Amino acid sequence: MASVSATCPRFQPLFSHSNKTGRAPGLKLVSVGWAKFTGFPSLKASRFRVSCSAKPETVEKVIEIVRKQLALKPETVLTSETEFVELGADSLDTVEIVMTLEEEFDINVEEESSQNITSVQEVADLIEKLVQQKAQGES
Amino acid sequence: MEKGVRRWLVDTSKWNPAPHDFSSALSVLPQHERSSITRFLRMEDRKQALVSRLLQYALIHEVLGIPYNEIVINRTFEGKPYLECSHVDAGFPNFNFNVSHDGDYVAIASEPLCLVGVDVVCCIKPLKESVPEFIENFSSYFSSLEWDNLINTGTSDEILADFYRYWCLKEAFVKAVGSGLAYGVDKIEFHHTNWTNISAKVDGEPLTEWRFWLLELPERHWVAVARGHPRFATESYKRTISKAEFDVEDYHKGLNLPNVAFVTRIIEQLIPVSHGEEKQPEQDLLHLSSREA
Repeated sequence: MASVSATCPRFQPLFSHSNKTGRAPGLKLVSVGWAKFTGFPSLKASRFRVSCSAKPETVEKVIEIVRKQLALKPETVLTSETEFVELGADSLDTVEIVMTLEEEFDINVEEESSQNITSVQEVADLIEKLVQQKAQGES
Repeated sequence: MEKGVRRWLVDTSKWNPAPHDFSSALSVLPQHERSSITRFLRMEDRKQALVSRLLQYALIHEVLGIPYNEIVINRTFEGKPYLECSHVDAGFPNFNFNVSHDGDYVAIASEPLCLVGVDVVCCIKPLKESVPEFIENFSSYFSSLEWDNLINTGTSDEILADFYRYWCLKEAFVKAVGSGLAYGVDKIEFHHTNWTNISAKVDGEPLTEWRFWLLELPERHWVAVARGHPRFATESYKRTISKAEFDVEDYHKGLNLPNVAFVTRIIEQLIPVSHGEEKQPEQDLLHLSSREA
């Protein structure tokens, strides 16, 4: 049983900085649910359900990354229940957040799995699922 | 059909409402729209969201003559807003609109026949990384040609500006078709002559049924508009479109409509007169603030 530590990320650059030839394999595109286009609030759809809840440390890490990326004031309260759409992140923010998460946790977030992620908790749950899958040798 | 083409802009840096005025403007919208605005944690986002909604209602009201309280705006699965219409206006086979905001501006664009997408960007220097580091994050969203053009542009400032111009155009396109970023933004490749005569290719094929424009706004903002064929719409967005197929001649009537210049609006213009009359004190406050502005 592989024990998963989400708090010891191995930093692995996703892109080759030297020669821009191929496309970056890992980061496809983030879910529309995250991106806040004006008038595009995310919809909670039922396709993706996680059976277990992420550890508090993972949630905290997600919150820290989001807070930093969006330069939120300390007074702005973020919890696991916070929905991304409330944070006013635009598409550029969303891409950077996902990339930072991928780097921090050494995972690849595929488009399909992130389609319906709307809250901090759901992101954390997805991350732990991906970390676990990776450790278990699944794709 | 030209009457269905609108381009409006609001400079939200000029509107700094007291809570009272904000609530008053908010109350113009139907109840169900208000929670989607107030749920934003940051006041700045709430302001942008409110202006964005007001622009939608005001535009629909002006173009189609529907009273505010009869306007029903729904969203597709991906979240694109569209007007719920029980009838199709003969003059506007596919009336549709799109909004965007960034920085100080909120923009709305509408079209009577073609799909329309609009995107505003505010070109700000990245705070925690260099320009090359910053743009590298997004390299997979650019074609090789675009990327080569981009990194060879010149100074950091010029590269950053071009980055935002490309991004803005790409966003306008994906928003026109009603998808999120999930469309394969890296597949659309923009060609231009100094950011005019803008055209695009997808998988090497020119998008002849599309038009693109890019305008510079004050304070390092840009706005891009994309106009194109309804058959490019995503599945869920296509369901909201009345007419996805056109013969060439009819389609070109829509494609070749003038791209009107952006018109600046102020908040007071987005609030229906009848609403103002009902709430006298608020109306006076609004007039006061517009005089001061």
